[in-house]
Order: sequence, then C-alpha cells, then structure tokens
Amino acid sequence: MNLISGIDVSASALNAQKTRLDIVAQNIANAQTTRGADGRPYQRQVVSFERELIRRTGEDPISSGGAALQSVRVGSIQSDPTPGQRVYDPQHPDADSAGIVTMPNVNLAYEMVDLITATRAYEANLSVVKNARQMAMKALEIGK
Amino acid sequence: MAPPLLNRVSMIDPIFQSDTYQLARKLLDATALRQEAIASNIANVETPGYRRLDVAPNFATELRAQIAAGARPESLSTLQPSLTEDLRARSVRADGNSVELEKELIEMNRNTVDYEYLTDLVSRNIKQLRVAITGRNY
Repeated sequence: MNLISGIDVSASALNAQKTRLDIVAQNIANAQTTRGADGRPYQRQVVSFERELIRRTGEDPISSGGAALQSVRVGSIQSDPTPGQRVYDPQHPDADSAGIVTMPNVNLAYEMVDLITATRAYEANLSVVKNARQMAMKALEIGK
Repeated sequence: MAPPLLNRVSMIDPIFQSDTYQLARKLLDATALRQEAIASNIANVETPGYRRLDVAPNFATELRAQIAAGARPESLSTLQPSLTEDLRARSVRADGNSVELEKELIEMNRNTVDYEYLTDLVSRNIKQLRVAITGRNY
C-alpha cells in the first residue's frame, strides 16, 4: 500500500507519454531529413503502449478474485513504413539521376495531433497525482 | 492476573466501533482503492484493448446488507474491497479500450471529495472522544 494511492501507475503513464512527446519532437525535427545514417530519408517513428501488471509483495489480487492494477509502458517504437513523398528537385544534393528526391514520410498535421493528445494525456495523469496527493494529505490530518 | 489487552481497552471501544466509524473506515479503504483504479484507467487511456477497472460492485451491496443485518464490526473486518473489470463499460473505440477520459476525471474528483468527507467524519469521531476525555475542545 502506497501512501499516495496509485502513484506508481500514474508515474509509469507520465513516463510513457513523455517518451511519446520525445518521439514527436524527433519526427518534427527530422521532417526534412533526406539522408540518415543509412543514406535513406528519415522514417517517421510511432510509439505503441502496452499495459503491465503491477505486482506487489504480499498481495496477489488475481488469486483473491480481483483484477490487478495495470501500469503502462512503451511497448515498441516502430518505423512507419508508408513511402515518403517524392518531389522533383534536381538541385537537391540527395536527388537521384532523374532529379527526384524522396522526402521523409513525416506529416506535420499528424505530428501536431499526436503532440496535443500526448500533452493532454500527460496533464490528465498529472491531475491524478495531484488529487492522490491531496487525499494523502487529508489522511494525515485525521484526528487533528 | 492482568486481563487481556482486548478487555482492558473495551472501555473506549464503543466509540471506535460505532456504526459510523466502522463504516467510514471501510469506505475509506474502498475510496483509496478506487483512486488506484482511476489512476490505472487514466494511465491506460491509450493502451489498446484495456478494460477499465473499478471497485467490485459487490463490496457496496455486501456492506449494505451486513449493516442492515446488524453485523458486528468484527465480522465487517473480513469484508475487503477488491478491484474488478468494469463489465458495464462499453467500448466505443476501434482499439477496444473502454476508458473515457472525461468520465474518469469527474469520477476522480468525486472520489477525492468522498475521501475528504470520510476523513473528516473519522476526525470528528476522534475529536468527540478527545472532548469526552479532556472535557474541553481544543
């Protein structure tokens, strides 16, 4: 039993959402990167979350018939396989012999939506932490 | 021979075993557990296939039944709230997740108010005992 209930779950979510924000930042930063380490244009990275059962010592909620708390973690960070836009730009250093450059498959609109969703989810988890803290403070005031 | 501790403290026991006090304690357990469930739900708001958790509904019904049947506080102590998947929650999303963020936030705020009310109730109970002992309110 934590003094602040559910803090470990919320902390895991804050972490996961922060990773997602990092990836969004990376995608936007590389929206024009036509040559990566492998010589190919940057590919958009996508984060997927998965749940993780929280086990506590001396407590097995499954055997006692209840459900277990589930925290969240980043399951995988994968490349988006959709092909990038091909633009005609013979001046570009990465243009092929026909003068066509393959741009990264980053869509700024998608990234902005992702950014907002991640921020809102982060805020929601933060407000849970705040409420849990308020509850803990109230518990400490019992009898005063 | 000194009587066992249990008998010696029985003088102030009735105050700590009043229905209100016992009920408030049980409900505090349930409220703290619900806060954890809500934390889990909001944390997993974007996890595919996640089903929202809540305190098992049979806790409230059983508690009510036991109180109505005039259960003694000792028998109440075996009744513990537990978490369960909320089977009433329907998923309206493509990823099968049944969490609705707004609902969870409202539920969380309601839960916090519940908790504050209950801690206040317990505090008042203890204060009453203190007034009874000291004869003054401080």
